[in-house]
Amino acid sequence: MPDPILEVKELNVSYGAFQAVKDVSFGVYGGEIFGLLGPNGAGKTSTLSAVEGLLHPVSGTVTVAGFDTREKPLHARANMGVQLQATSFQPELTIAEIIRLFASIYGVDLQDDAVKRKLAEISLEEAAGKKISQLSGGQQQRVSLVISTIHDPQLVLLDEPTTGLDPQSRRQLWERMEHFRNNGHAVLLTTHSMEEAEAVCDRIAIIDHGRIIAIDTPEALIEKHRHDPEVLKVVRKGKVTLEDVFIGLTGTAVRP
Amino acid sequence: MAALLRADFTTLWRNRRSFRLVLIVPLIILISWKGLIDKLGGVFVLSSCITIGLTSIGLMGYSNSIARDRDRGVFQRLRVGPVSAWTIMISRLSVQIAMIVLMTVLVFVVGYFVDHIQISPAGYAAGLLMSMLGGAVYLGLGQAIVGRIKNPDTVNSTTRLVYFVFIMIGMFGEFGVLGEVIEKLVIWSPYGVVRKVLAASLAPATWSLETTWALLASIGYTAVFVILGVKWFKWESK
Ligand SMILES: Nc1ncnc2c1ncn2[C@@H]1O[C@H](COP(=O)(O)OP(=O)(O)O)[C@@H](O)[C@H]1O
Ligand SMILES: [Mg+2]
Repeated sequence: MPDPILEVKELNVSYGAFQAVKDVSFGVYGGEIFGLLGPNGAGKTSTLSAVEGLLHPVSGTVTVAGFDTREKPLHARANMGVQLQATSFQPELTIAEIIRLFASIYGVDLQDDAVKRKLAEISLEEAAGKKISQLSGGQQQRVSLVISTIHDPQLVLLDEPTTGLDPQSRRQLWERMEHFRNNGHAVLLTTHSMEEAEAVCDRIAIIDHGRIIAIDTPEALIEKHRHDPEVLKVVRKGKVTLEDVFIGLTGTAVRP
Repeated sequence: MAALLRADFTTLWRNRRSFRLVLIVPLIILISWKGLIDKLGGVFVLSSCITIGLTSIGLMGYSNSIARDRDRGVFQRLRVGPVSAWTIMISRLSVQIAMIVLMTVLVFVVGYFVDHIQISPAGYAAGLLMSMLGGAVYLGLGQAIVGRIKNPDTVNSTTRLVYFVFIMIGMFGEFGVLGEVIEKLVIWSPYGVVRKVLAASLAPATWSLETTWALLASIGYTAVFVILGVKWFKWESK
């Protein structure tokens, strides 16, 4: 197997005395969509923040395209495209200005007609002169994805990208992710939607209370845990789903 | 860096309300004091107006824009790209320094044409230079405020309060109407020292030992504010 594009090893993240991520290790390879699946507060965003360099982990190493994120942070970040859970762009700028700003930050030279073409790709040609707040949630999402991938990064990180999207926009986003995967990129997305994990992820890691409790393909996870007593207890209508496995592994308690 | 600067300047320009406020308040005071120039002296009037402009740039312009963009997540989005934190900050500061130059020059021009205040070319040059140095005191203070306080609304009301206090001090404190002790405090406050240094630089012949002390005090205030402001500062608002 080739080297993973993203490699996380024994990552620990703390906020003061509270440890949000515990000994997390995983790799994401080119040509796969990897899902980090977990309930609210499981530590998904904290894990991504450590990869993105937004916070300093207590310990552990992260490499992106061969660059250690602590030793070569700018190189590592140049090779990843990031969509944060709560992203916001400067509300004073137009969409075209924002795209041009981020293109230059990532060292991509975009002329006006190239910006237009980028917007046409996501059927937002008319939005060039609009402000971000004038777009719908799905449209903002598309702009955000275009910006995250403007430099054709080897690794794409998406933090709950489909939360709050209507089914059409969600499908469209899935197709875009698959498009990246098919072009050899590594895609890491976080989600708490089983349906999404089953529909688009090639492999998933289930994370809970900061710890990874299982990593595999969705099918293999179902197969492996279909006879667990905790899973059988929550099965509905006799068919074991990924959701049953997830609840079986993470417990039935509702998270804040 | 150039792209970031362009974006930051565009953002400043599109925030018309605060852009105008920062420039207009010192000019209004300058014009309304026209009748007092014989009594107060042109240099005192110019230095007061510039100091008030500097406080509004550091407190209202700088700290509010940082608090707002931090809360919106604008900085986090930039920080996950291949730009260093210093690049982001330097770009922001450059915008404010440009504002300082613009405000100072406007005060000089309006002072010359409306209030007929004339000073020597050396005075204008030294005044502009010291205006940037004085600006550092309030940019530092603004940094300390956004470092300490996270909520943008609280930052907004705090900076307004401090700004208001400075204006009141500036208009009345130094005349001794508030008593001798207050007068002393005002003279050595971040407001007073900057105004004194500015006044002496506008009329270089009047530079005295006390002005040098005021200059050192300004540098001291800047150092303290910047050190605290950088130490306290967090990029996210949570
Ligand atoms: N800035 C922070 N300060 C303190 N605790 C935090 C902070 N960010 C997240 N946490 C806590 O860390 C845990 C993991 O959070 P997070 O990584 O955001 O989870 P997820 O993205 O899986 O919902 C949660 O218990 C959350 O309350
Ligand atoms: Mg999250």
